[in-house]
Amino acid sequence: MTRLVRAEWTKLLTTRVWIGLLLGACLLAGGFAALITGLAGRPDGPPAVGTPQYEQLALSNASNAVALALILGVIGMTQEYRHRTATPTFLTTPRRGRVVTAKLVAYALAGVPFALVVVAVTAVVVVLYAGARGAAPSLTGDNLQVMADAGLAIVLYAVIGVGLGALLRNQVGAIVGALVYLYVVEPLLSAFQATAGVYKWLPGGALEAMTATFRGPGAAAPDLLERWQGALVLLGYGLVAALLGTLFAVRRDVV
Amino acid sequence: MALGLLRPDSGTATFGGRPYASLPDPLRLVGAVLETAFHPARSGRNHLRVYCRAAGLPVRRADEVLVQVGLGDAGRRRAGGYSLGMRQRLALATALLGDPAVLVLDEPANGLDPEGIQWLRGFLRHLAHEEGRTVLVSSHLLAEVEQTADRVVIVGAGRLVREGSIAQLRAGADGAGTVLVRSPEAARLAGLLAADGRTVGREGDDGLTVTGLSTAEVGRQAFAAGVELHELRSRTSGLEEIYFRLTAGQEQFAAAPAGTAPAAPREMAR
Repeated sequence: MTRLVRAEWTKLLTTRVWIGLLLGACLLAGGFAALITGLAGRPDGPPAVGTPQYEQLALSNASNAVALALILGVIGMTQEYRHRTATPTFLTTPRRGRVVTAKLVAYALAGVPFALVVVAVTAVVVVLYAGARGAAPSLTGDNLQVMADAGLAIVLYAVIGVGLGALLRNQVGAIVGALVYLYVVEPLLSAFQATAGVYKWLPGGALEAMTATFRGPGAAAPDLLERWQGALVLLGYGLVAALLGTLFAVRRDVV
Repeated sequence: MALGLLRPDSGTATFGGRPYASLPDPLRLVGAVLETAFHPARSGRNHLRVYCRAAGLPVRRADEVLVQVGLGDAGRRRAGGYSLGMRQRLALATALLGDPAVLVLDEPANGLDPEGIQWLRGFLRHLAHEEGRTVLVSSHLLAEVEQTADRVVIVGAGRLVREGSIAQLRAGADGAGTVLVRSPEAARLAGLLAADGRTVGREGDDGLTVTGLSTAEVGRQAFAAGVELHELRSRTSGLEEIYFRLTAGQEQFAAAPAGTAPAAPREMAR
């Protein structure tokens, strides 16, 4: 299994996909952290620099990178079909479940440095910008918790990406479907009264359970799970998708 | 199907007595070229290193097989920029990574230029005859198969049509053992041979087909009688001819011909 995981890392690092996704993730996380810092303290804006609410909100922007971690995982699995390397891969490892397992492990572990970079970039942006505006946050206590949760969420979304890729096999379909789901379907589900109770069990709700800090004055706090429950639900989605994908999609004929 | 990529409706295929999917280290026993599939952004060398890692082979094997297939200089370039022939060579390199005793090649000459085809022919012969590997080639290029293969299996519409060495297939074909002669004195020669009890047919103004005599005997008789000869050769059927004869009248074969040609099974090469 170790050698299969290493083979997956070689695959990952010998194309440049990860560089683009990592840059995009840093921009998305750092950019929104900067935006919130810039607007902090304005009327109707985020809480003022120096308050714990502001600090946690700004630092939690690292979790914006989950979408790119998801795409990383999806590409990691579906490239085998897109570029037809599934043939040599399955010839080398005829037991296909092992390939999927190796990818889950490889992308979970690769997600760690990915998450560390994104969290670090976010923290640097917040510390420097907020420092320039008068009060640099300390990276301890609740702030550290927020950063750790955002990092963990990034890792879990990479795992979900692999599972989703195994289930759908089609790269474009899996990415577009995942993004539409995350940014169109789930916000709607969370908005409707009738479905709001289900929302906390969905990937977006579980993510929010892990990373939500502050919704703005007057916003109703949604019904969410505990942080650790959210993490388990996300991991569950990744593993279940991978299992179903292995049983029903990956085992299909490769031509 | 033999390699576990497709699920057969029935039946099994085994390598060394075991189905491919249950081989502990499949790349070390069987190397396969099925289609040329690479990530276009990955270099040929890195492509090979991926499978070295996955199969637990030392990564230097990547460089070794690149040299073996003549891609030593192109290994660090992106596979997406390779020509069709280079892709074919890289696929062959992938199959050779584990130094397997059995090679399964599907249309290996696809996309190769004439030099590449000649190189491939020599390379496969070398693998089969000098190194004693089993090389199983499936191909529609019958003329090519005829030049490389030791044994031929003809499969049509999923059924075995004929199996044997090329010589055996020829012997079973019409026209086997016939000698073609051309001479300005064809009529006189025909009379001589017919008087000897041989079956002689006419072919054009100056041609004869003689059955039951070798070229040497026909030549000797002609020489003894002082008959001038312009051509003297034994008539053999090409694989293509044999193939069409074997599958003639079976309409479904017309659209889906498939010839497979194993070159030197391991035990034969030893």
